[in-house]
Amino acid sequence: MIELKGIRKSFGKNEVLRGIDLTVKKGEVVAILGPSGSGKTTLLRCINYLEKPGEGSIRIGGFSLDYKRAGKKDIHALRQHSAMVFQQYNLFAHKTALENVIEGLIVVKKMNKDEARKRGVELLEKVGLGAKLDAYPSQLSGGQQQRVGIARALALEPDVILFDEPTSALDPELVGEVLSVIRKIAKEGITMIIVTHEMGFASDVANHVVFMDGGVIVEEGTPSELFGNPKEERTKQFLKRITPELIYTI
Amino acid sequence: MKLDPVFIWTAFVQLLSAIPTTLAITVVSVFCGFIIGTITALSRLYRIPVLSQISTGYVTFIRGTPMLTHLLLIYFGLPMLVDGLSAQLGLGWNSAKIPMIAFAFISFSITAGAYMSEVVRSGLLAVDRGQIEAAWAVGMTTPQALRRIVFPQALAASLPNLSNSLIGMLHGSTLAFTVSVVDLNAKAQIVASTNWKFFEAYLAVALIFWGLTVLIERITGAIERRINLFRRGGVA
Repeated sequence: MIELKGIRKSFGKNEVLRGIDLTVKKGEVVAILGPSGSGKTTLLRCINYLEKPGEGSIRIGGFSLDYKRAGKKDIHALRQHSAMVFQQYNLFAHKTALENVIEGLIVVKKMNKDEARKRGVELLEKVGLGAKLDAYPSQLSGGQQQRVGIARALALEPDVILFDEPTSALDPELVGEVLSVIRKIAKEGITMIIVTHEMGFASDVANHVVFMDGGVIVEEGTPSELFGNPKEERTKQFLKRITPELIYTI
Repeated sequence: MKLDPVFIWTAFVQLLSAIPTTLAITVVSVFCGFIIGTITALSRLYRIPVLSQISTGYVTFIRGTPMLTHLLLIYFGLPMLVDGLSAQLGLGWNSAKIPMIAFAFISFSITAGAYMSEVVRSGLLAVDRGQIEAAWAVGMTTPQALRRIVFPQALAASLPNLSNSLIGMLHGSTLAFTVSVVDLNAKAQIVASTNWKFFEAYLAVALIFWGLTVLIERITGAIERRINLFRRGGVA
């Protein structure tokens, strides 16, 4: 379980998160939606301390931390509980697909190399890249790189995987292959928080949808509640503008 | 005066004995310079208090003054410092015992460090921030992330500039003759003046420097190809 409380974050005078409380249950797939600048990516990055919130606390997998009082050791410990899939993939450019997946296992988890390799091969096969073990990121398509990124996150067996707009940088033709991998692992009961603009995907895969705007959570609920029967005016507006057809399909 | 082609060869052979001195000065100063450059570049990039200000001051002062001046400052300044310290602490040191080549090692390392600081800095800047964020996200500490992810890529990015620095220091090492170190160029002068055949001797030394430079180009070229394998993209 993950519990965020009173998260506030400012960049200079611009307050991007104005007190966020969010609870994510184990095994839940949370989709965070919202217009650009609503703070959804920043919120996600606060969970593994890639951004430092000015205020607030987090509890994750039995570990809790007050952001104001976090030292180096706490930050390091917090990061052990989550893994991240980045919008720009951020694969280690000088390492092959397999090396990317097992890097964390060897360096952080101190797993022995053979065991890590075995696990890495399994995971790459799972995301459909069993034939690309020794390819460098520069030799892979965007969709393939992102699938390696997902395998890298899975390898760590974290309490939660954070997806930061995992398909936004992709060619429209490649979006499908990445979404189907995410769908597949969602079914395995892995806790995930996904920041996305893919409404259809969110309504289909998530079981908890959060709508953010202006640095606050405007509304949250199940996909059918939020997409089918939004209560807040701002949510209705957003959904109408983004996915007019979705209103009819649900 | 006529050109004496045979003497070019004679000089060439005699000059070979000075190659180790030139290479020693070059390698020591580039090696130490690389370490100094890495420390100063890191402290500036990560804005480490005090160290970053010292580093910035060091880089602007050294790059703002000629290499020959550094050598002379060290040559005249270091003995004062050593003798002064020795007298104060009763260490019994004597600056006269410092070998001449040590002055070249120290001052050229300082020179190389300032230039290489910029080389290292540009290499580190060439590594996308996403790389260190990804390393943190898989749970690495900052030192682990730097060592395993950032440095190897920064090194690959800065290799062309590093080979430039190496060549620059190879040629710059000729200044060592001002503190009576017999490097290649100084040896050429000795060979020339004992035979009164200056042009031939300097031509021979030019050929040797050119040969060494080509060698450096080849070696760094090979390393570059090896280290940059990962950048050869197949698909976009």
